[in-house]
Amino acid sequence: MFAEAPSIVAEEEKKNGSGPWVGASLPRKEEDRLLRGRGKFADDIKLREMLYLRFVRSPYAHARVVSIDTSAAEAMPGVVCANTGKEIAAQTQPFIEIGPDQAQKIRDFPMAVGKVLYQGEPVAAVVAESPSLADDAAELVQVEYEPLEPVVEAEQALTDHSILHEEAGTNRVWNGVWEYGDVERAFKEAAYVVDIDRLHFHRFSSTPLENNVVIAEWNPKDDRIYYWCNNSFPSFAIQFLAAHLNIHIDKIRVQTFDIGGSFGIKITSYPQMAVCALASKKAGGQPVKWVETRSEHMVSSAHGNERTFRNTRVALDKNGVITAIDSRHIDDCGAYPRYEPLGCVIWSQVFCGVYRFKNARIDFWQAVTNKCPVGPNRGYSRMQHLWFLERVVDICAHELGIPPDEMRLRNYIRPQEFPYTTPNGCVYDSGNYPKMLEVAKDLIGWDGWKKKQTEARKEGRMIGIGIGTTLDSGTNNFGQSQIINPYAPFSGNSQGANCKLDIYGEVVVAVGSCPQGQGHETTTAQVVADVLNIHPDLITVRTGFDTERNVHTGFSGTYASQFAVSGLSAVHGAAQKLKAEMRRLASFSLGTNEDDLEFGIGQQGPEIKAKSSGKSINYWGLANIVNVNSAVLPPELYDVTLNCRYVWRAPFKVPDTKAKYGSLTLTYASQLHIAIIEVDRETLVPKILDYVAVDDCGTVINPPIVEGQVYGATAHGIGAALMESCVYDAVGNMMTSTFSDYTPITSMNIPNIKYGHTTTPSPHSYSGAKGMGEGGAAPVHTISAALQDALFAQGICINDSFNNADSIFRALQHREGGQLAELVKLEKR
Amino acid sequence: MAIKFSGEFEVKKKPEEVYDFLTDPNRFAALLPDFQGLAVQDAKHFTVKLNVGISYIKGRADVKMELAEGDRPRRAQYKGHGAVAGGNVTIVAGFDLIPSVDGTKVNWQGESQIFGRLASVAGGLLEPLGKKQIQKLIDGLQAALA
Repeated sequence: MFAEAPSIVAEEEKKNGSGPWVGASLPRKEEDRLLRGRGKFADDIKLREMLYLRFVRSPYAHARVVSIDTSAAEAMPGVVCANTGKEIAAQTQPFIEIGPDQAQKIRDFPMAVGKVLYQGEPVAAVVAESPSLADDAAELVQVEYEPLEPVVEAEQALTDHSILHEEAGTNRVWNGVWEYGDVERAFKEAAYVVDIDRLHFHRFSSTPLENNVVIAEWNPKDDRIYYWCNNSFPSFAIQFLAAHLNIHIDKIRVQTFDIGGSFGIKITSYPQMAVCALASKKAGGQPVKWVETRSEHMVSSAHGNERTFRNTRVALDKNGVITAIDSRHIDDCGAYPRYEPLGCVIWSQVFCGVYRFKNARIDFWQAVTNKCPVGPNRGYSRMQHLWFLERVVDICAHELGIPPDEMRLRNYIRPQEFPYTTPNGCVYDSGNYPKMLEVAKDLIGWDGWKKKQTEARKEGRMIGIGIGTTLDSGTNNFGQSQIINPYAPFSGNSQGANCKLDIYGEVVVAVGSCPQGQGHETTTAQVVADVLNIHPDLITVRTGFDTERNVHTGFSGTYASQFAVSGLSAVHGAAQKLKAEMRRLASFSLGTNEDDLEFGIGQQGPEIKAKSSGKSINYWGLANIVNVNSAVLPPELYDVTLNCRYVWRAPFKVPDTKAKYGSLTLTYASQLHIAIIEVDRETLVPKILDYVAVDDCGTVINPPIVEGQVYGATAHGIGAALMESCVYDAVGNMMTSTFSDYTPITSMNIPNIKYGHTTTPSPHSYSGAKGMGEGGAAPVHTISAALQDALFAQGICINDSFNNADSIFRALQHREGGQLAELVKLEKR
Repeated sequence: MAIKFSGEFEVKKKPEEVYDFLTDPNRFAALLPDFQGLAVQDAKHFTVKLNVGISYIKGRADVKMELAEGDRPRRAQYKGHGAVAGGNVTIVAGFDLIPSVDGTKVNWQGESQIFGRLASVAGGLLEPLGKKQIQKLIDGLQAALA
């Protein structure tokens, strides 16, 4: 499937037990378990007297619920109970709204109350003794609807002609203007001004192998809620759940296990978690399981944000250097904001992308529509903006007749400018975009393809070469939420970890993340192995999240490309603390100075040795002194527990919320992709002829894991660009709600990918690593650019992020009406 | 999703006779494709039971119909809505009756909106299938009024 990739680290895998382990191509510790089918997923959990929940969902995108009759379902043998939105609303609080002002008035419950706002919204839930009985009973629930006018476009929603949340009185969720520099002056002095009427980033999602799963038990004996689930940001979920369910947050226990992919989409499963808990309560405390079907996942889990860019004006100097951008952006967050409107500020982490322009005004809007609520899908909010910037660069390049590689070189932030402060105060830690372009061009054979392209065009073939340069910003400053709502209680970022020597001397590490394939077990072991100078196989890493392990903070989970920085910094801190305690203990035990000690592996396993005497004590001996043989301990060592928790805190400050200025993210990994695409002259099917992905995520902890994530993100992006789109019809039916219509990318559709790597270590993390894994949706930008190049001569401007044979056909049809001329105008001064 | 339909036909009956036929649920409803049963509530309201089957989605639909406009002998319009397997449907169907030399010219037009999984899963099939079913109804009407 993939072309053979050059190894990032030249050295062979270390087998002799000596480090350093960070940077080594260590096979994933998780692999053996997962590949042999021995993983433990939420649906593998079977509990005594477990019940099964099935949702009844709205066929309408917008309708008033006239009545719900659950009596026939409840009368069915084997059915335990049913719940409706109205019943839930009577015993809960609406979910917390992050947005300010009118958005605060939105009343969001986990099932529809009075109105349904998107096709697939739950209106009732039936609980039965088996999944089949629950299915059958759900069909007996009678719901009467009165259809209302649906709103499926964000621009249309902003007219407030048909309002979704009547209590808010508007469909607008948020609006704010980001303005920096002197935009007016830049336009006055521009040599060229390019106007782009409309660009559109389409709605797509993730299709994890494992759908959402929740098991909830509201235990009547201790009045605590126990969750076994695959939510990927549980520390966020429990904050929402506690307030919603009127229960102390410490009374909610969440455990996650192996998770079969999330890509951010599983962050927003807390409404279903609430329904399952309330169902368990109604069922007298019996555990209730809900396993989402694929169809449910497609219509009602969460989609990525859709965004429209209107009236974009770009000022350029005589050399094609962009001096200013002025644009209006409208984000569609679906029926309920939920994690939104955080996306209204998250994009500004990459405000200027990889480019140097200093003057810009972005008027940003977000609206609700009668579509599935959005969630933080891989590349969340930033990929839409980065795609926009890449489109701007390519359109301007074509209009001015500047080759796209040259256009980028003229506009890139220069390597010597790092750390680079963006117009809105973000600090890009490191990077070398020209070098990445050089590596990518070498890998793909740029000059050769240019020649082939020239020859092919003589034959009438439509071949395009596209470049996409993008950023993967990692480790958020949650203080940016205060730009959205000054009363938001979040700022900074933190992650916890615990590192201990167990009673028999085993090194055990627990972290607050929820890995879904990112290899946290392996990279954690690598970091600790280097601290203690032992082999990673000697370290046990507790995977999965558990509130009762007490290692999490309010930001714990797996999202936003941060584990390599936040998670591993916490692990490193905890390991250092443990090492310091072990050193003190060994100094006492071996009767020598701490400076005289060295950590390593001896005859009896991991040990600490006195260099002067050769005496040593192994880990079991150390643990024994503290846990079992404690009478020998002198009082000055009573504080030694060999059980060390460390909370790493990112060095952030609260941004200036009025100026919308400050550091919003700690690290900036970058990706540069090049695609060669041919559009078939007869079928108009775009085919990738060659593809290169170059990644820079700073110091690499584990090369194969990084490579795997680059391939995954690339596949996801290619799917999004060419195959996957959440299409809604005019009345809000989702028309791509099955895999046969949504056509998620598979191994059969992924081209050979040539992989390359450059390294600019981050000065902002202890190891030089940067968070990665989201890929910045680089393929979406790159494929749009390649198609632009292939079709520009045909009078086509690529103005949508989704392009398949059908959309290219429609663009070609529209060409007769002057698609390019209508969309783009060039003014030469 | 919306399916729009329209057409015309002529029958050798007076407009009054055509109107009376169209507004009599017992005669009109029986011509609906895959008709299974009828319950008449009053002169303007009735519920028809229909068999619905598209690919693997099969089931019975209860469609509540209302004679929304009745202007004897010029125009009759039905509005209906119902739950069908995997979705909901609304129907508006109007008949304009124009006297002709031999009898009555019937101009018919309407729109059906389909919501839910039925539209999502079977969207591509619905329009041709819907039009085929409408044609069956019109053919039935013509035959009955012949």
